[in-house]
Amino acid sequence: MNRRGERASRLASCFRAGPLPPGEGGRSPGEGLAKRPHSALRATFSRREKVLAYAFPLILMLLLALPALAQDPRTIVEESQKRSNSTSQRYEGTLRVVDAKSKVSEKRWQFDRIGSHGDSKSVLRFLAPAEVKGVALLVINHPDRSSDQWMWTPAIARERRIALQDRSTRFFGTDFSFEDLEERDTDQFDFKLLGDQTIDGAVCWKIESQPKKTKISQYTHSYVWIRKDNYVVAQIENYKKTVLVRKAKYTDIQRVQNLWTAQTIEMTDVSRDSRTILKIEKLQYNLPMRDEDFTLQAIQR
Amino acid sequence: MSLLLALMLLSQNYTQRGFVESRLTLYPEAAVNDSAHAVGEMQVHYEGFYKPRFDFQIAVALDLRTDTHRQTERDLRFDWKDRERQRPLLSLRRLSTQYHHRGFTLETGKQAIRWGRTDIVNPTDRFAPRDFLTVVDNEFLGIDAVRGTYERGSNTIDAVWSPRLTPSRIPLNTQRWFVAPAGVPAITIQRDMPEGSQSGVRWSHVGPVEFAAAYYSGFSHVPSYERIPGKFAVREFYPEQRMAGGDVAVPLRWLSIKAEAGYFTSPDSRFDEHLLYVVQLERQSGEWFFVGGYGGQKVTARGTQSANFDPERGLTRTILARAGYTIGPTRSIAFETAIRDNGDGVWAKTEYSQAFGQHWRLTTGLSLIQGKPSDFLGQYRRNSHGLIAVKYSF
Repeated sequence: MNRRGERASRLASCFRAGPLPPGEGGRSPGEGLAKRPHSALRATFSRREKVLAYAFPLILMLLLALPALAQDPRTIVEESQKRSNSTSQRYEGTLRVVDAKSKVSEKRWQFDRIGSHGDSKSVLRFLAPAEVKGVALLVINHPDRSSDQWMWTPAIARERRIALQDRSTRFFGTDFSFEDLEERDTDQFDFKLLGDQTIDGAVCWKIESQPKKTKISQYTHSYVWIRKDNYVVAQIENYKKTVLVRKAKYTDIQRVQNLWTAQTIEMTDVSRDSRTILKIEKLQYNLPMRDEDFTLQAIQR
Repeated sequence: MSLLLALMLLSQNYTQRGFVESRLTLYPEAAVNDSAHAVGEMQVHYEGFYKPRFDFQIAVALDLRTDTHRQTERDLRFDWKDRERQRPLLSLRRLSTQYHHRGFTLETGKQAIRWGRTDIVNPTDRFAPRDFLTVVDNEFLGIDAVRGTYERGSNTIDAVWSPRLTPSRIPLNTQRWFVAPAGVPAITIQRDMPEGSQSGVRWSHVGPVEFAAAYYSGFSHVPSYERIPGKFAVREFYPEQRMAGGDVAVPLRWLSIKAEAGYFTSPDSRFDEHLLYVVQLERQSGEWFFVGGYGGQKVTARGTQSANFDPERGLTRTILARAGYTIGPTRSIAFETAIRDNGDGVWAKTEYSQAFGQHWRLTTGLSLIQGKPSDFLGQYRRNSHGLIAVKYSF
């Protein structure tokens, strides 16, 4: 038996030596250990096995307590982010913008991201329609404040900073605002669990998120639905006071490189009665990317 | 060679874009030196980018143009220098190689270089000559240059050296945007083109407040004029120019303030030493965007030149505003105006634009120009016009 096999066997035997549920003829480890003399204990278990014997009930208790901990809304949101965590991401997005009169326009962009939640950088570059090909948006997310955003327009060879007060503006005729393109770091929001609700047949936690005072946002609060089965965000409703401004629906959830990801996002601008359907294609995670490709100079290349 | 080119074009590392545009400009009034009421133009613009390695790129941009009014040459010759008065039929707008390593980027060849932060008047934008054949509807020209940019954190140093001046293309003297006084016969213009190089450096910082400082040494890309003694002629020259300036952008709670200023000096005594500045406010709200500001100048030492053609200085002592509204995903409307603070000149423009499908766009516009003949804007009072443009982008 190799070293690893030996260790696994020890662990397995240790677990087997662990508690059986009361009423099934088992006795608690404490009970058994208390009845044995100390020297006998030393003789029976090695030091590692002793540690494991004591740690096991603690681990079990923690595992049993997890669902209870998950009821904390911040923990749920953090777990959701943790499960979608990757060092980088790339996809091509096709956007269908359908206005109130059912007029449809299509756009296409490539999205690259490097870094993890709240501390990432992303570049979004339009591939179509032809007249906006090359237009790029650089978003630098910060864990402690609102993101920095710059837009590069090749036709006039100028970059322009998107000021904070302009972030509620629609992004290039889509129903996403500039703010919707930045990541939401959990530390910048307060959360409240409002209960369970079913979205498209999946049971979800409904959580209210409210930006902290340090976070400048067009939205006074949002409702976020997170699926209980895979911790994927199913829906977000963004409000200004009591008025629903934008609603994002996440569907077509698939597992890509072990990460559950919504392949379709439908953003509705409620006041305009307009919606944008973003279809995610060619999605890849954890690609090798360079930090130097996420700078103001880089988006001009 | 052609096989190599074909392979490059078919490569996944090659991207391209461009457009074909047809424009019709209608002038209700005849000008003193131009009786035409309609000008038709056609432009094919092509850009290609070949990226054989992640850190290296070759970029090319070509323009093929023609028009009904001889603003464009009729001879098919390839124009690299962009120094002729007429637009070339076939011109190279960009041909450059770009290499980058970490924060350093080196671009060599013909390229567009833009400095400054404001939108309407850019005193520090010294490497950006323009095509002013239609003064109020101009476009940028590329220049031959070596440009090194080093970006580290929130600071960027940009150094540019250009072996020769690419002048702005100014209105042709047989056409309406060249304003000739009534009854004065045509005079001979002797053109002196400088042959020296130009260079500049700019340091910019991004942060909660963005700012930059820039220095330029070279030539004015717009011409000045002086009388030639004893002849019925004027000399057109491009005076040496030094510019020290900077720009700043301050985002506030409700709007952003941007300002840019440049102080211009010259060893050439014919040149006016002056300060050019602009302050503008900017805001986007819902479907609206708004930019409004004031451009000013202060002449500190008057030169001996008789006249000059400088639209940037011409747009000073002026309240400038631009607003736009996005009607829907395919439609937008824009307004632009410049009003002299003494009321001597007004230019107002409105433009409606609509996209059809993925490739087509129709733009219609109306430009109204009023004012006194002595004013930079007012001198074009006969050039109010309407515009229809159809563009196919690919």
